[in-house]
Amino acid sequence: MTNAVAAVRPARKKFKITKRVFSYPYVLFMLLFVVLPLVMILVNAFLDSDNNLTLENFKIFFTEKSSLIVLGNSVFVGLVTTLICLLIGYPVAYFLSKMSSGKVLVLFFVLPMWVNFLIRTLATKAIFLAMDVTLGMGTVVFGMVYNYLPFMILPLHTTLSSIDRSYIEAAQDLGADSSTVFLKTILPLSVSGIISGITMVFIPTISTFAISQLLSNGKIFLFGDSIQMKFDQGLYGVGSIMSIVMLVFVLVSNFLMNRVGRNNNNMGRSLW
Amino acid sequence: MKKRIPLIAVLLVAVLCISLTLAACDKSGAAGGSSSGKDELVIYNWEQYIDTGIIPDFEQYYYELTGRRLEITYTTFDTNETMMTKVLKNDANVDLICPSEYAIEKLMSAGFVKNLKEVENRLTEQYGGKYTFDNMHSNIEPEVMSAIKTMFSAVQAGDKTYDMTEYMVPYMWGTLGLLYNKNVVSEEELEKYGWGMLWNESNNPELEGKILVKDSIRDTYCAAVLYLKEYNKLPDGVSATQGVPYSELSVADLINCTDDALLKAAEEALTEQRDHIAGYEVDFGKDDMLNEIVYLDLAWSGDALWAIEESYDEEADDYLLGYYVPEIGSNIWYDGWIIPTSAKNELAAMLFIDYMCTPRSGARNTGYIGYTSAVAKDKLMSDQGAIDALLDVEYLWYASSEECKIFFDADGNSVFRYEWTEGDVYYLYADGSEAEIDDESTLTPAGYETDEDGYYLTADGENIVDADAMSYFFFDEGRYPEITETLGVMRDFGSANDKVVQMWERAKAGTDTPWVLIWCLIAITAVVGISAGAYFLKEYLKRRPRKLPKDASLSPDNGDTIA
Repeated sequence: MTNAVAAVRPARKKFKITKRVFSYPYVLFMLLFVVLPLVMILVNAFLDSDNNLTLENFKIFFTEKSSLIVLGNSVFVGLVTTLICLLIGYPVAYFLSKMSSGKVLVLFFVLPMWVNFLIRTLATKAIFLAMDVTLGMGTVVFGMVYNYLPFMILPLHTTLSSIDRSYIEAAQDLGADSSTVFLKTILPLSVSGIISGITMVFIPTISTFAISQLLSNGKIFLFGDSIQMKFDQGLYGVGSIMSIVMLVFVLVSNFLMNRVGRNNNNMGRSLW
Repeated sequence: MKKRIPLIAVLLVAVLCISLTLAACDKSGAAGGSSSGKDELVIYNWEQYIDTGIIPDFEQYYYELTGRRLEITYTTFDTNETMMTKVLKNDANVDLICPSEYAIEKLMSAGFVKNLKEVENRLTEQYGGKYTFDNMHSNIEPEVMSAIKTMFSAVQAGDKTYDMTEYMVPYMWGTLGLLYNKNVVSEEELEKYGWGMLWNESNNPELEGKILVKDSIRDTYCAAVLYLKEYNKLPDGVSATQGVPYSELSVADLINCTDDALLKAAEEALTEQRDHIAGYEVDFGKDDMLNEIVYLDLAWSGDALWAIEESYDEEADDYLLGYYVPEIGSNIWYDGWIIPTSAKNELAAMLFIDYMCTPRSGARNTGYIGYTSAVAKDKLMSDQGAIDALLDVEYLWYASSEECKIFFDADGNSVFRYEWTEGDVYYLYADGSEAEIDDESTLTPAGYETDEDGYYLTADGENIVDADAMSYFFFDEGRYPEITETLGVMRDFGSANDKVVQMWERAKAGTDTPWVLIWCLIAITAVVGISAGAYFLKEYLKRRPRKLPKDASLSPDNGDTIA
């Protein structure tokens, strides 16, 4: 400790504008708007309505069947959305990466992202209503896929287009046909992109609430909706627990994804 | 790592400093109102719940009255819960709030509301009776006051009880009911099935899946328990808290009952309801009704009246929508002005409440937001300012010679004669009430002149307000329902709130299996499986003939060992 103080003191005397100084505003921002709220959530999770320390909130959440069902449903919706996004997004990204004009075409996929997602979702709802489609789980999944597809395509496209052509040529020289080239060369090389894509899609989808509320008229009740309702009704304790559960989910899926990513040789470049 | 510790410490200190300065600014800002020479009044009201033109008018009125300038800060909230959280955490530095009755109850119990009588006495003493607050006392609909008194005469706070009428002045009131599309839902259906319409008990095929209910537990719970009562589905046995059988509870007791058995029955009803409705609306119900996306909506009378007004069809000369309160009963609600204990400018707050109770302000607010003002009906009718305000927003219009004839009866009252369809004649007095005229010969024509557009003019050249318009406005059952015991006030759920919210969440989450998701998953697995299968089949077919002509030395095994 004394060493540290000693090391800092002379530095303070001749304060210089180093590169690091420029990061201070952001660090300050992080502390105020990321760290502080997280601490507040953590504190709230252990307080009851009269501000006494309690573990009751945990009990309420984990013994209530409906909240676990809602959580399960959310994870299920997130899973299906992610898989559909991957299934649609991968071929698109693959063909775009092979085309010379792919970069421009990717722009078209990203273009809807520039429109506010609430407006997009409301427009989707209007279209469904005009087509006389009953709002429900189907429309919610559609809305999710529609909203999050660009997040899948973008990292995949980046990874796929940065694969060195010579790997593919080498595989072909060694007698692999096109499907074998894809399965044995391109797919393993794009794993990092797939992982970024999955993380980018899965995590937001399990926490979303606006899409499910708008595209099902509130009939599909997901984890995000549940948290929102808890805070609306002033049940801060349980709401905080649920936010923490969500956070744990995010961290765990991130951790798992990183593990998978590390095991696979990071040949391709991932975007995020 | 060690080096960074001071940096973080410095940043933490910085954060602390900033928040402290912010807090300090907040305080000085709130207190600095009077020092800058201007009085300040902070109002905290529902969104879009006032004629915004009234605010500058009141500032002017205040100046004329007190000789001091007033600056009004008008802030809004979207739910009672948001507002309550803010107030209960002492975060709201406001002088006036307009919550619903149950929120007032909760705030009173927590000791956050000032007694208006005491405030008034204090102000009278302080200013030597310079300011009076007569409108507040004399203009409020007495029936509304008595309804509040019966329910909230003894609000518990600590070990004492308080009378809510001393703490709040009603602002708007109304009922909960059904907003329906006249083309799809008939009045007979509504009368026969009542709240059951929200469950499509009439099995109207057009209505199935075209119903919206409010995404608010208090309102849906009220509808659900009354539905249970209507269809004799209330739980058997005696209520645990009320001590009488559920079927014998009055409407007010029933909608305030949160027994486990009743909650369970309500949950079942609400879960069952999911299959019949389009969804839960937050604020789009009115629009969806107007656009005919849905045909039935659980609505508050104020919203319903607004929507009905909007739904006027010129061609059909009729309103598309209607509002119905089921006969079995409903919820009657009140929003009212309270002065929280955090209030600093009591005088301005009291004068503002008083100003809002003038017939003209009541009429302006009603005209602007469509809700029913708590200012008494007869005060509005007899006040020229109120009538003018309603004429401005076209709730009222002038009598025209094309539509009616004006007579005087034997007592000298004006009688308006209408004959919209041939032979179907009816008579109205000038205030819109019905006149029983058996013999037209007892009437003498008023002999009013008309202007070039056909509107009647009095001897002074003034237009005359149409009696039919008065009747539409003041004798509308939706706007001015008869307050009977079938209309119950809903209290705060109190300690049962968590239980009710959990029930509501279970009902909203539903129990249906997400088949769409399962099918999607199966389809995805199938697609992946088929492509994988196709690939392996191809490999297998390719490999088999290859093996036969090839030499043993060129077998793929060699390749493997090299790698």
